[in-house]
Amino acid sequence: MQFAIRLLLRDLRSGDILTLIIALIISVSTVTAISLFIDRLQLSFEKESASLMAADRLIRSDDAIPQIWRDKARELSLQQAENTSFRTMIFAGEALQLSLLNAVTDTYPLRGQFLVDDTLFGAGKTTRQPPQPGKIWLSSRLASLLNVQLGEQVEVGETTLTVAGYLVRDPGSSSSAFAVSPRAVMNMADLGATGVIIPGSRVRYSLLLAGEQEALEQYENWVKPQFNEGQRWRTPIQKGERIGDTIGKAQSFLLLAGTLAVILSGIAIALASSRFVKRHLMQVAVLKTLGATPATLIKTFLIQFSLLFVIGAVIGLALGWLIQGLISSLLSGLMSTSLPEPSAARLWLGIATGLVSMLAFCLPLMQRLIKISPMTVLQPAIRLEQNTLIIYSIGFIGMFGLMCLYTQGFLLPTIMTLAIAGIGALVSLLGFGVFRLGRSLTSGATSGWQIGLASLYRRLIPNLFQLLVFTLIIMLGLILVGVKTSLVSDWQQQLPADAPNHYLFNVQTEQIDPINQIIDELGVPRSDWYPMVRGRVISVNGTTIQSLYPEGRGEPELYERELNLTWSDSIGKGNKLVAGDFDAEGLSVEQAAALEADLSLGDKLELNIGGNVVTLPITSVREVDWGSMQPNFYLILPKEILQDYTANFVSSVYVSDAKAQAFYNEMAQFPTVSMLNVGELLKQIQTIISQLSQAIQLVLICILAAGGLVLLASVRATLEERLEEGALLRVLGARKALVQQALFIEFGSLGLLSGLIAAAGAEACLYGLQVFVFNAQASWHPLLWGLGPFIGVVIICAIGLSASRTVLKVPPMHLLREF
Amino acid sequence: MAVKTAIKVKNLTHTVTANTGDLTILKKINMEIKEGESVAIVGASGSGKSTLLGLLAGLDINTSGEIYLYDHAFSDMDEEARALLRGQYVGFIFQSFHLLPSLQAIENVMLPAELKGDKNARQKAEALLAKVGLSERLTHYPSQLSGGEQQRVAIARAFASSPRILFADEPTGNLDEGNGSIIIDQLFELNRSQGTTLVMVTHDNELAKKCDRQLVMSAGQLLEH
Repeated sequence: MQFAIRLLLRDLRSGDILTLIIALIISVSTVTAISLFIDRLQLSFEKESASLMAADRLIRSDDAIPQIWRDKARELSLQQAENTSFRTMIFAGEALQLSLLNAVTDTYPLRGQFLVDDTLFGAGKTTRQPPQPGKIWLSSRLASLLNVQLGEQVEVGETTLTVAGYLVRDPGSSSSAFAVSPRAVMNMADLGATGVIIPGSRVRYSLLLAGEQEALEQYENWVKPQFNEGQRWRTPIQKGERIGDTIGKAQSFLLLAGTLAVILSGIAIALASSRFVKRHLMQVAVLKTLGATPATLIKTFLIQFSLLFVIGAVIGLALGWLIQGLISSLLSGLMSTSLPEPSAARLWLGIATGLVSMLAFCLPLMQRLIKISPMTVLQPAIRLEQNTLIIYSIGFIGMFGLMCLYTQGFLLPTIMTLAIAGIGALVSLLGFGVFRLGRSLTSGATSGWQIGLASLYRRLIPNLFQLLVFTLIIMLGLILVGVKTSLVSDWQQQLPADAPNHYLFNVQTEQIDPINQIIDELGVPRSDWYPMVRGRVISVNGTTIQSLYPEGRGEPELYERELNLTWSDSIGKGNKLVAGDFDAEGLSVEQAAALEADLSLGDKLELNIGGNVVTLPITSVREVDWGSMQPNFYLILPKEILQDYTANFVSSVYVSDAKAQAFYNEMAQFPTVSMLNVGELLKQIQTIISQLSQAIQLVLICILAAGGLVLLASVRATLEERLEEGALLRVLGARKALVQQALFIEFGSLGLLSGLIAAAGAEACLYGLQVFVFNAQASWHPLLWGLGPFIGVVIICAIGLSASRTVLKVPPMHLLREF
Repeated sequence: MAVKTAIKVKNLTHTVTANTGDLTILKKINMEIKEGESVAIVGASGSGKSTLLGLLAGLDINTSGEIYLYDHAFSDMDEEARALLRGQYVGFIFQSFHLLPSLQAIENVMLPAELKGDKNARQKAEALLAKVGLSERLTHYPSQLSGGEQQRVAIARAFASSPRILFADEPTGNLDEGNGSIIIDQLFELNRSQGTTLVMVTHDNELAKKCDRQLVMSAGQLLEH
């Protein structure tokens, strides 16, 4: 033990041990920092999205909530609140308005806050307290439609309530975003007195829950089997919802970033340990001649590696903790909410990464050390035949296991592994071809070109390996840059700052012109007007919808309910034709709706429109961007089919805060027109998106920095041999410029080739990731094709040449003595 | 009292596999070296001198025949046992010194004693370095020493485990004449004072002549002078 430690401490001075410790520190700290940060972000997203739903979990029911459900929640120590939501007329003197009224318990909301203001159309102040009994909050629009002020009274059914505030945001509003009536909130205690809820009323009951994850899961398992058809269990991040998708993609990105960090760590440790082994081969052979037995050596190395691991892991963990703290504090200025504290339980991932990398790469290499023949000291040419393929395969399997552990799945690691294997094959083939070609084009050693190209071929295997490492690191960087760029621009495109924030419904043909006039005078951007006729799909190719969709298929149940049908001359904003001909005389179906019912071009749909049955073939399929906030439709019919039905029109407009008051005042002339304000929801989504973009940017910088360090390490790993050759050339009388030129050619060619292959590999990986992981449209990334070779040539040459300055400055004699 | 046999070789043959097929490097060698004797193995490059030295020291396993080191047969041993035997009986000096570059001169000399768990490793190493005239260089690294100094450190290291047999592979091969003769003097002086058996591979005729016996290797066979 003491001998091992003494030897280790002495070895520390040589720098090899230091390289290994640094590699360990890089891997442990990068993975720790990223996983802790992801953890905090995830907690933050959950908090944020829970606040969009006002709870951690929510049960929505068409019937009153059974008492037993409340009791069970209490038993599991879950917090609970209730919201009973219904449409009703609110009266104020002569004025009356159909409104969406939410009666909430005192504990509502469990997550998030209300925004309420004392002035009409004010920005709002946060509060967690719902209105007191006897009080009601009205949205500014509702108050202006009813023409009531604070302190005045409104009638709801048989009771009278006092207006106590203007509701700006109800934390649960996003879940019923498409309710078109203006909103109001009252206390649950007053609900009975209103007498508006009678048997047969359309009421939506919600039981909101918050608490420990485990208790929530237990509750979910208990309650779900009791659900009837009109009851739903909702989580904050629901697949298919825009915000859920956005957060999901961000999480995938962060997961990807973390996975790449794991691979980088593997490369760093593999490089460092192979350098360690290379430098220790002779040392071990000498120790063997001095009588060191294999058992002593195994013990010595195990103690040394364990110590190294402990030192590297402790420093790495501390550093990782610091880095994530730094990233979080950088972000805290930008984020609207503070990040929750990271959980120390996530630290195991960093430790596991360090340990698995060490075991996977160090142990097989260590075995090589132990097996070296002591005869090597007499005949250095004897080196143990060792199958490097096996060593690196073990390492690779270890890395794959780590990635699976990290992503808790196989898809991402498999895509990455296949890509790396493909890249490995490509690198070997191309590298061999190019190096050989370079060699055949040159002979002699009179120019840097000749020397550089000749050495590429001479050290074929190490150069191919280095090419692979360069390519992988550059490729990983490019993939992240590509994913980040397309994700962020995708998000920003989805929700531009002037995305429509109000929908106008129930507009009659004769109201369109006067409304257009108001909109134009206010200078408010709007989308086109679309006619809307209600209709229902009754059969597909003669099979009834009931038999296609047995009960309980889950949302969105497109074909179980009435749909809004429209006609249009053009395909419209936010729509993209994916199959067929839009102008043909038939149905145009939205892609997801077509997929859900397995519909394809030519299928015949039977529709019931206002009691008349029409049968139409599908002539086109559209992809619809639901995030565009334009009026969009699942089914578009030919004009001649729909034009005889009474239609009302829909459009969307962007009303800035400054113009809101004037716009509402003008629109008050059209009391029958329904207006849906999604502005607050949009703002919340935009906040989350900008937070995500910034978070992703920081993680990217973190990984690229780690990648840069690994690149540096890999250049340095083979520098020695190159420098030795440079020193020899100098001894033989070569000018500095010649040595420099030769190194430049060698590093430059490696860099250029790896940059190009990396760009190709990144493009292929991005295709796989976009299509299979992010479910996005695949696209080309021209930026990568420039960036890859640029990084390759400039960075690798810069590192290589700056590290080789010593060869050119120091007298050759000194250098030769060092080698 | 009869002199003990330090090394005994019977019908030693060694074959290696090369790209061109099997290559027999040593052919049916028989020899004996007595305790305290100094023996030089000479011969042309490629004649098999270093291979023979390695096999005698148990660094490699011969293809056939037997080698005994103080009646211990190497052929019956695994690497673990051979290493233990080396630690117990053998010291080495190499042409290219093979000092560990990350260790100071004194630490290099301490190594064999430390491997045996000797608590007085430092004192012994200091004394040995003083004997080879390097008291002033204890904390120098190999790269800070001249070739001659490095080889003197290597000699001190070789004697640090108080070996009964010292194997030397071209000990002066990398040194100039002046340094070479200092090394030789120190080597033989230590050899005499500690009663060590010396087996040396060399090209240097002067050096070979200083030994009690010279064995000539030629194309894998041994001829005694």
